[in-house]
Amino acid sequence: MCQLRPRPLCQRLGSLLMALQVFLMAVLPAIAAATPATVGAPPPTTAPTTGGSRPNFSGPLGRSDERFHEELVVRPLSGDHVNTYFQFTTRWHFGKKDNLYHTQLTPRVIAEVLQQFDVKELHIGLTQGLWRYETWGYPIVEATSGAEMWAWFSGDNLTATEVDRQWGQLANVFSGVLCASLNFVDKTNSISPRHLLRPQFMPANRPRSVRYASLPREIVCTENLTPWKKLLPCGSASGFASLLNSGHVHNTKYHSLGLKVRMLCEDHLEDNCIVELTQTANLVYDLRLFELSNNDFSLRRLFGMGLNGFCELAESSKIYVQRNEQGQKYSLVPQPTQEVKSIRGGHLVVYAVYDMLEQFKDPGERLFNIAWLTPKNENRRRNLMKPTLPPVTVHRYLLGNGQERGRIATEVTNNHYEALPILVQELVPWYVHAYLHTLKIRRKPQRVNEYTRRWLPFKLLHYTPGKQRELPSHLEIGFTLPGQTSALITIDVDYLLLKWLEYPPDANHGHYIGAAMVSTQLPMGRNYTALPPEGHLFEHSFNATRPNYVLSLHTEALIVSLPTPDFSMPYNVICLACTVVALAFGPIHSVATKVIVVGRQASAPKNFVRKILGKIFRRNTVQVRAAAAAAAGAAQAEALRGGGGGRGGGRTAADQPILEDLREEEEQEQD
Amino acid sequence: MGLLSDPSISTQSKLVDGLARHVRKVCLVLYVAGVVWFFCLALPEFNHGTYLSENALSPGLVYPEIRVDANRLAIQLLEELHRERTNHVSTTPHAWIAAKMNEFGLETHTHNYTLRYPFGGGKEYHGKNVYGILRAPRIASTEGIVFTAPYRAASSVHTDISPSVPLLLAFADFARRKNYWAKDLIFLVTEQEQLGMQAWLEAYHDGDRVPDANRTYLRPGNLPARAGSLQAALNIEVQDLEIDYVDVRIEGLNGKLPNLDMFNLVQRIMAREGIASGYKQAPRKKRRHSQSVYEQNLRGMLSMLASQASGVPTGNHGLFHRYRIDALTIAAARRQTHATLKGNPGSAAVPLLKAIEGISRSLNNLLERFHQSFFFYVIVNNDRYISIGDYMPALVALVACAFVKAYLKWATLPSASEMEAAAAAASAAGSESELPSPGEAEPDEPFDLPYGSVLIYLVATLAIGYLCNVLPLQQYFLEIPMGAAPLTTSVLSFLSLIGFILPFVVVLPPGGLELLHVAFLLIYGCAMIAIGLLNFALGFFVAVLTVPLVISLETSEENTKSSFRNSIRLLTLILNPMMIVYVIVLAMTFYQFPELPMQKIMLRAATAAMDASAYGLIDSVIYGNFLYFVVSTVLLPLWILCWTLALSKRRDYADYLDFDEAPSPQPPAPPAQRQAKLKRN
Repeated sequence: MCQLRPRPLCQRLGSLLMALQVFLMAVLPAIAAATPATVGAPPPTTAPTTGGSRPNFSGPLGRSDERFHEELVVRPLSGDHVNTYFQFTTRWHFGKKDNLYHTQLTPRVIAEVLQQFDVKELHIGLTQGLWRYETWGYPIVEATSGAEMWAWFSGDNLTATEVDRQWGQLANVFSGVLCASLNFVDKTNSISPRHLLRPQFMPANRPRSVRYASLPREIVCTENLTPWKKLLPCGSASGFASLLNSGHVHNTKYHSLGLKVRMLCEDHLEDNCIVELTQTANLVYDLRLFELSNNDFSLRRLFGMGLNGFCELAESSKIYVQRNEQGQKYSLVPQPTQEVKSIRGGHLVVYAVYDMLEQFKDPGERLFNIAWLTPKNENRRRNLMKPTLPPVTVHRYLLGNGQERGRIATEVTNNHYEALPILVQELVPWYVHAYLHTLKIRRKPQRVNEYTRRWLPFKLLHYTPGKQRELPSHLEIGFTLPGQTSALITIDVDYLLLKWLEYPPDANHGHYIGAAMVSTQLPMGRNYTALPPEGHLFEHSFNATRPNYVLSLHTEALIVSLPTPDFSMPYNVICLACTVVALAFGPIHSVATKVIVVGRQASAPKNFVRKILGKIFRRNTVQVRAAAAAAAGAAQAEALRGGGGGRGGGRTAADQPILEDLREEEEQEQD
Repeated sequence: MGLLSDPSISTQSKLVDGLARHVRKVCLVLYVAGVVWFFCLALPEFNHGTYLSENALSPGLVYPEIRVDANRLAIQLLEELHRERTNHVSTTPHAWIAAKMNEFGLETHTHNYTLRYPFGGGKEYHGKNVYGILRAPRIASTEGIVFTAPYRAASSVHTDISPSVPLLLAFADFARRKNYWAKDLIFLVTEQEQLGMQAWLEAYHDGDRVPDANRTYLRPGNLPARAGSLQAALNIEVQDLEIDYVDVRIEGLNGKLPNLDMFNLVQRIMAREGIASGYKQAPRKKRRHSQSVYEQNLRGMLSMLASQASGVPTGNHGLFHRYRIDALTIAAARRQTHATLKGNPGSAAVPLLKAIEGISRSLNNLLERFHQSFFFYVIVNNDRYISIGDYMPALVALVACAFVKAYLKWATLPSASEMEAAAAAASAAGSESELPSPGEAEPDEPFDLPYGSVLIYLVATLAIGYLCNVLPLQQYFLEIPMGAAPLTTSVLSFLSLIGFILPFVVVLPPGGLELLHVAFLLIYGCAMIAIGLLNFALGFFVAVLTVPLVISLETSEENTKSSFRNSIRLLTLILNPMMIVYVIVLAMTFYQFPELPMQKIMLRAATAAMDASAYGLIDSVIYGNFLYFVVSTVLLPLWILCWTLALSKRRDYADYLDFDEAPSPQPPAPPAQRQAKLKRN
């Protein structure tokens, strides 16, 4: 394949990987200095060879070559859950930027965005629910609950303000495209992560900047699913997208819609580019909610209907069903035609493959369904076996009570026996004041349930302090977590009393603090299912053994109860009364503490013009003096007489007002 | 600003004159008004019917879906649990509970905690709670509701409430198969009564605390899993699956209460399921119908205030309130089997399960934390309540006496001239020849009130109170081989004795007593209002007892009969906090064991009172109950002040004259007359 177009692809791949390696070597070794084995700079040649050995790029890609793939992965998870993962990939080798005007499979809006902005890579996630790492392992695509968005910008002469402007506009565009509240992304909730996010676009060696924002309060619903499906070439008419009916998708325990766009351009030649659009839908079904007598399930039961075929525009349309681990106990109907064994990082995964292009080869209308059947002799008693814990798990919680202050605690547990480098990124919104000096990382052995005073030193710290109503606090910490150990990162926070119009209508619901992101490098591939950065299809993760695997995790979001006034009638009365009192206080205070002396008009202006001038310059106003009345008389007389002779050239005209305070008066008297 | 310090208002004003003439009457009227207002609150015209303020709760909007199969499961689990209980006589069958939770598909965890008992050589007790979390499909673990069931071991002295665990588990199994949950549900089984609950809550909210070996007595550890911010909690204590009635318990730690909406919600849902339920519900046959409505209401009010005053929660729910989690206990009593009243055992618990389902679904609907309705109220009847705005005036009227009197005292504080006049009178009474002539006097020398010494005196009394709080827990005292009760009591009585002796030893300079009186009245008033705001019952009862003494307390010597003074001294002695505790315990003992002879009762009450003080201390260090603090650190110093004032020990003016180079006496007639007038009142 590479031979057909020798120049772009191999080079591209190599340089992309180079870029990634450069990045990883820049950041993580600093953390992982104690564990050189995990980083151990791999030779850049390994990736291209593995990439070459596998069908990484299905078919040749010519200029203006545009391909669409649809994939569905079904993985039974422990605890009677089933993960279904849809991935729709459009890859378009458009060449020059001008060609972006002529779209075919790629949605026009994406092409226009790339045309208009200097965005090179964009991730949007809309998620409901929380991925449970302990029981479900790791997801194929990571997402935090609510809405999440990050983008890489790279271009000539791109300033930070320009990036901010483009970022805001980009958010607004996708707010419209996905019907999500992404338009609330602005400076108050965006950060530019320094270490945690890694670029996956190309060429990434130019100056680049990244923006990240999350909206944990966002609720994902049908209104997001429909526009998301409209971005697909076949819409929801045929293909796997026809399975995504909102009635069933939203009755899951976890559903996440993802959108990822990236540009892959050649290093020197800007007009030889690929745009890759990946749309993912990650769902977790809970079989117990079906109220079945056994654990059998089928596509029909999960999605409400069978599969009506494949998208006619698709290059490939495949269903992968995991057969080992939790999938072992099921027998499949119909039997799969093909099985793939993938060994990745010493971890074997078996997938049964159904090719829809094969299945619907013959004309004729029918629905395709796969059923997972448990053996009849297995009784209703559910599997009580606890799943093996994945290597790293994260949690976050709020500690302390009361509405004044608290502590945000992020807990990272390393279940692996080796030390791992950990990067944690916290985004604390402006209405919560974080105090950096209270940042502590404590450790404990994994099995013990109490943290002691054993500290863990951090190797890397990046902190951008927040600013009220303007900037969020942004914190990135890197440290090495020893094997079989938990680390607890706590930081003390104060809750701000907001202005009364800043409270949302449901003020007592609480305010959200977005999830923390945790990143690490795993030395082995257990539970690891994410795609390799250079691949774009799920099948590219087969046998994709690497020296290490970059893992990114999200914690829970938090709700904090800020000090909330009682928004009822008494509160309004108090607000009103306080305003009145505050308004009245000023004049009353000044009247009560100052002595008002009405000075006689010094000398009446002679003619009309002077009168007007006098009015304009307020020269003949009442003289307010904080002075004893008796003292004032003498001083004033003096001032009027000699044009302020006692004070030198301070006064020029006889009718100059004398605005002095008591002390000056006294000085004069002493004179 | 100048209101208090301006001499033109204080002594010459008509207001003060009028007040001085009628202060006794005014105070008496205020006191009577407060008490009468309180009794009026029981009248239906003075209290209101309950209503649901939070619309999101919408109780009974959904039809209960829980069916008889859940009841069957509960019965089956109860049988299994009874089998387990034969093996675990004095422990909790953790493994069985955890296995059941796992089987039902909950995320199950255990929580270990340690109690280092402060007394008796620092023994350590270990405990273990089991909890399962139902992860809600509609939320990312940001909010949660807690359902708890205390487990009592078979060897426990308390009533057997083991069926609550099967009931909880049966409901968990039902809830696990529903997809409408918008808050994580935590099913928690605690042991060792309130200790387990307290440890769990502390671990949930302060799990990162590094335990300080000397200061912390309860080491809660950390929890392996959480479910976001907890919105509400329901504690279930069921004596049997076949229930007679449900008692809804609401009083929490330090007299805190759950939101009235939550109580109303429970009442509504219970009524819909046809369960007899109510606040302090009693079995049917015990209910007296002869009482009038007013009497019933008054009894209801007083019993609620009585249980609130001690600050001890009536169930595990009470510990949640401190974390602003609204919680209450559903205590279901066993049905007495009658020949005529025969229920169907196969579906006996269905109404209760339906009620629990209804409550949890309503709580699940909550969009915001409980914030509407009332957090401070007194329940008169199951469907009538008194809000804080209605009951506070009673306390305010009582405490107002102290402030009125404080103002009067301040306004009539002896000024320099009066002091001199008094001194002159004193010396004149002693010997007329020593009268210094006006010429020798220094009329410009200002007379200062002894602020410094009064302040030191106040600090000393407060220090005594503070020592009561910390001394019994000091390491060197704990090492004395003595039980908790005798140790605490001996420390307390020793410190009270110091307080008793203090006024005999330290005599304040002239004017000091009056100043001290003002300070006492102000501190007393503020303390009563503060206590009353936090725990109305405690504040009100203390105020009702002590305000008469505060009104009648006078520091002046003239014009008062010695018998009156002596009776006040006696009253002060009786109102010593330790005496009051003893009297309360004595009354309770007498009520409980009326058959015993008086001597035995008094002896028994003495030991019980000693135990009570020790329990109060333990409650304060483990749970944060502030009753002990209030009694020892607020009321005891106030009593010492009171005792000082009642004794009114003064230095002789002659001494003072000798001591202070004799300020000249000017006999100004008008002030002396006015003072005399004041004293008459």
